[in-house]
Amino acid sequence: MSDTGRQRLATAAVCVALFAVPLVVHDEYYLHLFIVSGVFVVAVLGLDLIVGYVGQLSLAHAAFFAIGAYTSALLFVRLQWTMWLGLPSAALFTGLVALALGSVILRTRGHRFIIITVVFAELMRLVATNWVDVTRGFMGLPGLQVPKLYLPGLGAINIASKERFYYVVLVAAVLAYFACRAIVRSSIGRKFVLIRENEPLAESLGISAFRYSMIAFVAGAALAGAAGSLYAHYVGFVSPDLFNFSYVTIMLIMVILGGKGTLLGPALGAVLFTFLPELLREASHWRMIIFATILIVATLFMPRGIIFPLVEHLVPRRWRVRNAGAA
Amino acid sequence: MPALLEGRGLTVRFGGLTALKSVDLAVGAGEVLSVIGPNGAGKTTLFNVITGRVRPTTGSVLLRGEAIERLAPFRIAQRGVVRTFQKTEVFGGLSLLDGVAAGALAHDDPDPGARAREALSTVGLQNKAELTALQLSYGDQRLLELAQALAAQPAVLLLDEPASGMNHQECTHIMRLIGELRARGLAIVLVEHNMHVVMNISDRVVVINYGEKIAEGRPEAVRADRRVIEAYLGVEQPAVDAGPR
Repeated sequence: MSDTGRQRLATAAVCVALFAVPLVVHDEYYLHLFIVSGVFVVAVLGLDLIVGYVGQLSLAHAAFFAIGAYTSALLFVRLQWTMWLGLPSAALFTGLVALALGSVILRTRGHRFIIITVVFAELMRLVATNWVDVTRGFMGLPGLQVPKLYLPGLGAINIASKERFYYVVLVAAVLAYFACRAIVRSSIGRKFVLIRENEPLAESLGISAFRYSMIAFVAGAALAGAAGSLYAHYVGFVSPDLFNFSYVTIMLIMVILGGKGTLLGPALGAVLFTFLPELLREASHWRMIIFATILIVATLFMPRGIIFPLVEHLVPRRWRVRNAGAA
Repeated sequence: MPALLEGRGLTVRFGGLTALKSVDLAVGAGEVLSVIGPNGAGKTTLFNVITGRVRPTTGSVLLRGEAIERLAPFRIAQRGVVRTFQKTEVFGGLSLLDGVAAGALAHDDPDPGARAREALSTVGLQNKAELTALQLSYGDQRLLELAQALAAQPAVLLLDEPASGMNHQECTHIMRLIGELRARGLAIVLVEHNMHVVMNISDRVVVINYGEKIAEGRPEAVRADRRVIEAYLGVEQPAVDAGPR
């Protein structure tokens, strides 16, 4: 079979497997983990555009996720906008926030950029905590609902159950993946990589580092906002806890140890690092020690991330599709 | 020959240090202008001013008569002023083809791959297109820099010590390439310490010392200029006469 044929077969097998998850997995808890990992896939694909493709370490991503969650929640609570309107609005608003922030901070690089993104995230947490009239502070915004889905010929379908909401998240993750793939395969994506590899040289040849970093920053933030909206409606509640630093830490682990600068790596990293801490629960109080050890070992010895070296080790060479890096 | 690129009264001060002092220069299409001078004379600062990396304190840079000294470096490159660097700058992790395509991508070339292949072919690296830049020898990396610049379709090419660290054969190759580019109508400004290269390919030479232009003219005239000999080329000291014993 040709490489293209094998690639199509592998893609079809993955699609069938993803579609079959709710039919095979009946445990509510594991379905919950699949849904959360799908939400993280959307968010970390956005983070990968900034960290993996342009090479800027942004620590504001969890804040963008939370801004998207709050935007969608407030539109639902104040204006009764359902998730179908709330999600694109959250993505748009978060993108605009990133545009405003980026116009200031994308002229900086290195540690200054990192520090400003941390300060921005903390500032947003303080706003969510203290602007009580709007956000209800620590009490958060409860009662968010999953809307019905109207399909021609089928009428209104209730998608509030985990089995059905899984498909909503799956569609969102697949759309996010193909949107990012279209970007990174275009001339825009090639310019991202050139900026990451040697920014002064790219500028000296006529590529605006500011402009293309901004495109990645805004697109990445919009995806985080969309993921935040999905998450808010799925759990039904938002609070300032969403701004916790632990969220951006886990997203960075998903991107970097998944394989930054590829799309498949961080997507698989999102699934792996959502499930791993939960699967390690069997180890009781040793859980976080084992998890931390895995992270340290992977960081030290697997600079390309965990996913691709693992695939190369486990899958026979003749089965592997050439040019897998393009994924 | 009408000037394609002109620097008028370029002065750069870094605090109390004057790196360039009212330097004028001009280069036309199909001309090679070399800028020489001792280390620290201000040659690279001059390149940085022309390419927008450093703003002049006073003076202006004109491209086809239009001031460009306030533009961002990427805009200056888009208008056709492209440089190479004293310390080799390449896209280390990318294949030669992907790295060289950068300049073509910056100009929204409909076929950046073809443009990159053409540039690699010009410098003689077409058979190494799939290697990464870091797999190349130092000499090939210098050629790669030139290919990167060529793919950006420059009208003015600024070459910062292209023959630095190269052996005689590689220097000859670089000289032949610069000659070909001049024949294509490119305006070339060259900073170089290798006097063999400078004297053999330059149409004119500008000499800078302590940020100030001290001489300008044809290579043979500059070589004979007393101030240039004192400041840069060196004076042959007479043998010390020990006197009668």
